[in-house]
Amino acid sequence: MASRHRQSLHRCRALSAALLALAAGCGGHGEPVVKIGFAAPLTGDQAPHGQDLLNGARLAVEHANNEGPILPGHRLELLPLDDQRNPTQAVAAAKKLVADPDVVVVIGHLNSSCTMPASAIYHQARLLHITPVSSNPQISRQGFDTFYRTCATDDLQGPAAAMFVAGQLQAKRVFVLDDLTTYGRGLANEFVAKAKALSVDVLEHEGISQEDKDFMPLLTKIKAANPDLVFFAGMFPQGALLIKQRLDVGLSSRFMGGDGLFDPVLINLATPQAAEGVYLTKLGSDIRRIPTAQAFIREYEARFGPIGAYSAYAYEATRIAIWAVRRAATKERTAVLAAMKQLRDYPGLFGLQNFDEKGDSLIRDIGLVTVQGGRFVELGAYTMRDGQFVFVAAAAPP
Amino acid sequence: MTPLQLFLQQLANALTLGAIYALTALGYTMVYGVIQLINFAHGEVFMAGAYVSLTVLLAAAASPALAGSPWWVLLIVCGAGAMAACAGLGVAIDRLGYRPIRQAPRLNALITAIGMSFFLQNALMVIYGAVDRQFPNPIPPVRWEAAGVTITLMQVIIWVAGGLCMIGLHLLVMSTKLGMAMRATAQDLKACALLGVPVDRIIAVTFVIGSALAALGGMLFGLNYGTINFHDGYLVGLKAFTAAVLGGIGNVPGAMIGGLVLGLLEGLGAGYLSAQWKNVFAFAILVILLLFKPTGLLGERVADRA
Repeated sequence: MASRHRQSLHRCRALSAALLALAAGCGGHGEPVVKIGFAAPLTGDQAPHGQDLLNGARLAVEHANNEGPILPGHRLELLPLDDQRNPTQAVAAAKKLVADPDVVVVIGHLNSSCTMPASAIYHQARLLHITPVSSNPQISRQGFDTFYRTCATDDLQGPAAAMFVAGQLQAKRVFVLDDLTTYGRGLANEFVAKAKALSVDVLEHEGISQEDKDFMPLLTKIKAANPDLVFFAGMFPQGALLIKQRLDVGLSSRFMGGDGLFDPVLINLATPQAAEGVYLTKLGSDIRRIPTAQAFIREYEARFGPIGAYSAYAYEATRIAIWAVRRAATKERTAVLAAMKQLRDYPGLFGLQNFDEKGDSLIRDIGLVTVQGGRFVELGAYTMRDGQFVFVAAAAPP
Repeated sequence: MTPLQLFLQQLANALTLGAIYALTALGYTMVYGVIQLINFAHGEVFMAGAYVSLTVLLAAAASPALAGSPWWVLLIVCGAGAMAACAGLGVAIDRLGYRPIRQAPRLNALITAIGMSFFLQNALMVIYGAVDRQFPNPIPPVRWEAAGVTITLMQVIIWVAGGLCMIGLHLLVMSTKLGMAMRATAQDLKACALLGVPVDRIIAVTFVIGSALAALGGMLFGLNYGTINFHDGYLVGLKAFTAAVLGGIGNVPGAMIGGLVLGLLEGLGAGYLSAQWKNVFAFAILVILLLFKPTGLLGERVADRA
């Protein structure tokens, strides 16, 4: 009886040891990881933009893993979340990323309306946060030392657009539209302020809903107001509908938009015929003319097809984040943050990267683009020359 | 642009939107007429129509038999495919969702309808993806301009398709035997059953017609706006339901008029007041109208039913 009891006890121990071994084997495949959080709209109307960013970040992580382990024995992983361009979802995604102890840095949010509330959550968690493309200047004015961005801001983009409208296009009367988001309203206000300073007549400034698809009544109203130019601060899905429907009501004014329109999908949706001659500003000068970016572009296009508007910014942001983690040499978030503060003259895709005290990149050109024959053509860029923001026309196509 | 030209242009815009609302509102009102159910899944049938027509259009444009055929052939094939598929979907919704609980309290069917709407919306997302789909438009971008008013071929097609369907439906309901059976079922379902009217078949036919019209609306929506998303049906469904209530729910001409009036209210609100306030304007008018005329514009029978 006793021996039988002992026997079963033995069997029990052997079984639990086997179970323990199995459990250990299941947890994290045995290899510890460092995660880079990523958040952007991956579903819905702005998903093409989000996917472009994700591809850029993915390539950066792959390159880093090929160069060697991020920390001794650690593999680097990307953790992409979908914020559906919805601030509520963005906050939920941010909380999820903050709660994961393996996440040491977050690349993300496409829309300023998402980046703004999420940045507060990352700040509270002392988590390094780099946005590749959210351009609203208010985000970096919150005083969060966790926040960085690799693109120019709308307090430059709006004035650049207004200078182009008043100078190159000689427009006297403009009708301004925005999509009522943090980005759209912010950019439109910057544009309006500069346009008025340049004595351009701003006839009206109206908002549209991102859920709307029928802009014919509004465009008819604009036609009656007869402006020289319509400026729209918003994203490409609504921009494309405005561009297309304006022909359907016979509105012949010129059309200009901000960087939210800079996506080839805009031309497809609007039809090349309607998009012909549309102008837009974008963050940064023509990437195809920057020698240090060419190897990246070639590799990206071989992997994912034509490079997206902001893929390079996502790559740049992710590479900089990886640089900070390597320098910190630990998964501790405060150490990564401290390492980031030491970044000087990082050799990035766009040249030497440096950030100001607010976390904004010092590479701040605003590019100007027009649509010709169904394609975006870069006209040049506004750039800082001796303290002046001036237009530099592009040379002949490369 | 003179004020008159402006008004005529706004009228043309509003009629286009109104025709799509009206086509969709007919399904709500017909189903309500026969079984007093607000079929919340109708907006999803509309969206399914848009997706199926996109699939058919892409397949037709790629098939050797139809490639290179004129645009209107593609359009007819595409419309017929979508209407047939959605007619089937409508019948399936009724057979599986609503018929088993026909005798249960009306609230049960209403909750089933809401569940059906969620189910279909998510099914569309799973099948077609959560990303916006581009809807290629084979209709040539022809525009006519007369006296400062611009009208497109697309708009004319929407008006003609909408108008023909409404006239056809009116004739069907008012002057055929089937229409008579539908009207009788709407008046008193139990009495009709006692008199030997095959009420379940009449109800199925109601779903067939309503869903086919929604499918046509969905196709025109996709063609007109160029992109579709699985959740677009929600807002259009809500607007079409509003149009049905505005016209007097249960009343077929009422739904047509309600759709056109809602389109006009939105269009004129956006055109003369402010684009961002257009929904507020349209719904405020609806509330005011229902305060003074609770049965809607043409409705008579709601008070004793509700």
